[in-house]
Amino acid sequence: MSYFFQLVVSGVVVGSIYALSALGFVLIYKSSRVLNIAHGQIIASGAFITYALTVWLGIHIAVSFILSMIITFFLAMSVERVFLRRLIGEPIISVIMVTIGLMSIIDGVIYMTPFGSENFSFPEFLPKIPISFWGISISWTQLVGVIITFIMIGAFTWFFKASTVGISMRAVSDDQFAAMSIGISVPKVFGLAWATAGLSAAAAGGIIGNITGLNFDVLHSFGIIVFPVVIVGGLDSIFGAIVAGIIMGLIQQFASGYLDGNWGLNGTADVLPYIILLIILLIKPHGLFGIHEIERV
Amino acid sequence: MSENRWLATGNFFTSYRAEQRIFLTHADRLVFICFLVLLFAWPLAFKVGNKYMLVIDSILVAIVAVYGLNLLTGFAGLISIGHAAFVGVGAYTLATFARLLGGNHVLLTHCWPLMILLAGGVGALFGAVVGLPALRLKHLYLVIATLSFQMIFQWFINFSKFYDQGQTIAIGRVFWFTGKVVRKQHYFFWYYVILVFVVVLGFAFRNLLRTRYGRSLVAVRDNDRAADAMGMHPGLTKVYAFALAGFFAGVAGALHAYLWRGVGFESFLLHHSISYLAMSIVGGLGTLVGSFLGPAAILMLELQVENLAEFVRHYFTAVGDVATALRPLSFGLVIVLFLMFEPRGMANWWRIIRSYFKLWPFRY
Amino acid sequence: MKNRQVTIILVAMFFMLVLGFSVQAVAGETYKMGLSLAITGPTSDAGSPYSKGAEDYVKYVNDEKLLGDDELVCFIKDDGYKTEVTKRNFEEFLDEGIVFYLNYSTGSTMALKPDFEEEKIPVIPASFHAGNLIDSDYIFLPIASYSSQAVGLAEYIVANHKGSGKAKVAMFIHPSAFGRASKDDVEKAISIGLAIDLVEIVEHGKDLDNTAMLKRLKSKGVQYVISHTVQPPVATMLKGAQSLGMIASTYGEAGKITFMGAHYAGGPDLIRLAGSAAENYYWTTSYKLMTAKGPGTDAQFALAKRYGRDEKLAISPNYTNGIMVVQVAVEAMRRAKAKGKKITRESLYEEMVGMNGYNAYYPLTTVGPVTFSKTDREGVDTLQLYMSKDGVFHELGAPFVSEYVQKIKQ
Repeated sequence: MSYFFQLVVSGVVVGSIYALSALGFVLIYKSSRVLNIAHGQIIASGAFITYALTVWLGIHIAVSFILSMIITFFLAMSVERVFLRRLIGEPIISVIMVTIGLMSIIDGVIYMTPFGSENFSFPEFLPKIPISFWGISISWTQLVGVIITFIMIGAFTWFFKASTVGISMRAVSDDQFAAMSIGISVPKVFGLAWATAGLSAAAAGGIIGNITGLNFDVLHSFGIIVFPVVIVGGLDSIFGAIVAGIIMGLIQQFASGYLDGNWGLNGTADVLPYIILLIILLIKPHGLFGIHEIERV
Repeated sequence: MSENRWLATGNFFTSYRAEQRIFLTHADRLVFICFLVLLFAWPLAFKVGNKYMLVIDSILVAIVAVYGLNLLTGFAGLISIGHAAFVGVGAYTLATFARLLGGNHVLLTHCWPLMILLAGGVGALFGAVVGLPALRLKHLYLVIATLSFQMIFQWFINFSKFYDQGQTIAIGRVFWFTGKVVRKQHYFFWYYVILVFVVVLGFAFRNLLRTRYGRSLVAVRDNDRAADAMGMHPGLTKVYAFALAGFFAGVAGALHAYLWRGVGFESFLLHHSISYLAMSIVGGLGTLVGSFLGPAAILMLELQVENLAEFVRHYFTAVGDVATALRPLSFGLVIVLFLMFEPRGMANWWRIIRSYFKLWPFRY
Repeated sequence: MKNRQVTIILVAMFFMLVLGFSVQAVAGETYKMGLSLAITGPTSDAGSPYSKGAEDYVKYVNDEKLLGDDELVCFIKDDGYKTEVTKRNFEEFLDEGIVFYLNYSTGSTMALKPDFEEEKIPVIPASFHAGNLIDSDYIFLPIASYSSQAVGLAEYIVANHKGSGKAKVAMFIHPSAFGRASKDDVEKAISIGLAIDLVEIVEHGKDLDNTAMLKRLKSKGVQYVISHTVQPPVATMLKGAQSLGMIASTYGEAGKITFMGAHYAGGPDLIRLAGSAAENYYWTTSYKLMTAKGPGTDAQFALAKRYGRDEKLAISPNYTNGIMVVQVAVEAMRRAKAKGKKITRESLYEEMVGMNGYNAYYPLTTVGPVTFSKTDREGVDTLQLYMSKDGVFHELGAPFVSEYVQKIKQ
């Protein structure tokens, strides 16, 4: 039984990281209807920036965490300004392809730094002995990661519900013309959406980097798993992203816990998200919590 | 006043039939035939090394695959990020035969035209299956459905022992009327075979618009409710579109397998799907000319970047990492720059040049 | 304005084109070799030092005139671990007229096997997959195959296992041809009497969290894990195991798991990645460690220093590997030259299969001599077991040869 609970705990840990990464994705989609394929790369760059600040500049990790969030904030905002501003109004495929191109560009930039090909691990600043109770163990880094994730999720939810900027972003995502007529600057909101997505991406990256070490390949595949999470949750629902993230994390852990190794199966955790994605698309296309109806053919 | 069939100098059609001609003028057709002759004749005159023949052959295979993708995106307005999986399905059809009967079995080496068409058929079948979600989804959601097909395909090949878990399954050398196609002639021979497929399928593509089915594709793309009202079945049309794209992709996959003499799943990854999409966009989404220009541009670019990277690594060894970063960087930059500044792709340049000649000797 | 932009772009492209094509002329004269490997991409943390090792040794050969007045040229191209690109590179090298070929990935070596047979060119890959030797005459493995390494580790387990019953072993492998290389031979060894119980073979994915896998192995009673993959996934697994308190602090400690690994699943890089989690890790390879004193170590450090490489690279076993494969090729060339033969693929092949007995080759960096013959195309047959303590690998016991692997071959 403790095996089951261990899986649950690991699932929640991994799932909350998925949730944090999916959060940024949903933010961008919600405000500007853009599918940001390059989100995984932004997460990776956030992780590397945190590392660089901590190890190369010797700043304390908590400070560098926040600093990297700020840096990625501006980075993402400038990305939007330079590349995507021109494409407002173009067909959706063009915008998706631009984000795909962006993904390659950021890839290339990361390869220019030593981060692209070598592996790094964060200096250990938390006690190494994991916390154990009832036969379940969870490491300190994982626990801190989950706590930070939930704090950020809480902050974002508050941001969207209560703050002026958040409400104006929701207004723009609802109806751009109406928002413009009230006086909200739509391009500025787009920029802000990307910037906040960058913020959450950097946080996610920093946490992942601490838990698994920095390997660009691993971070790469991380970016692709955001899709199933976001679709299952509903492309425009923040709450959906969180719930779907945790569900996906749990499913993956259960799959590798109970399915792998039996019947010669291996790596089911990698494919299950996509099977679930397909099923959800066929039954409930707008996800568990999405609002907009998808046009039926 | 009778129509001049040699020089167009503008648009003076007097019947629908005239407008739908593939070659608008006799001059057009003549130039095209000369061009075809050139394409078939140049390898006999110039000998290029195996590596360059391989690259050229790869470009031709990519052209066939991109036909399918352009059909899907341009004519049917559907987006697919899983195209490499369809190409993979075609290649793995051959691999199935190779695993069951041996890579050098008669079916594979002697009946290879049949095998290629069979692979196309299987590709069409899978295309139809994956197209089924198109009955319910649109745009973004369809993109993601195709993405999940791609990932499931990858996982399945990687997992199945029957396909050697994705490792290369060898396909033997083929036989032609003159005997076995040996190593020295391999790329040369396949150049001609693939060129024939490119030309024939290119005509098929161009001809599609003249058929009833092609027009219904365009109608459904433009306004599916109106098309429905007119009696076409939008959902089924979309499924047929996927099937057709799957056919092209399957043929491309089989050609790929024969060309590389092996099938390995590493040629059919997500990265390749994105590459096909990039070829389609850089060439010009949905156009025939774009299907030629796009793959040529992207594959030549990759080659040049490799050379440039080699150059940089040789002379500036300290910045070795820059060399390896050039590949994704250039790929991404090309896509982004084209989309930002020339969204209609290289086919747009071609169109401008052509319209200049079409109106010649008049200026407008 | 737009016209000017177009002109600028065209001029830039033109220059790139000219530069690109002109690079072909960089090639040199006399003896040509080719190397296609993953300098970037998957397993590039092993590939990059490997390429630098090969490069440096080629420079050394030319600078020290080890081949007399003749020059050695080695074309090195990055294939990003993609078989297609490797094949393309191979075709390009063939166009250049190489006489010896160095390959890297298991997948491409297996895929290009028929090509090597047709071209009759001797090949040394960086992949020690025993399957490379089946149905091929021209592939030579530099050191003992992965099968030898994995089975050798399993034999050590059997020899030192305390407690009743067979030792329960799991394997942790890379999800590719490279990873699966050794498992078939391990299973064969078990079927002819190797007394271990192979509980599970895990092909790792890109898991963030190995907790589920580790707990599952624990619940199945696994005591030993043999890893056959590259260092980063092993490091992730070790760190996970450490946080769960599962790593044995002495060999075979009851209730815990002892971790072991083959050539690419260990080394100083692993310690750097896993930190304290890599304590008490067992590793086997045919190379001597750069931390051990000896003429090989000194020579390698001197080489690295001469060509301006940093210390991290100089102690890497992949650097050693890269140097060694070129050493073997150059040795074959030198011998052919000494006998007055022309340097062609056939003459080099003859030298390679004649490299045994009195003609065995002793590079300073391996634990045994390189011996090749028509039937034995594994270079260094002996392996050395290492154990990590206090962040450094130490030799454990004497060099050994895996006996079950010999038995399987018959």
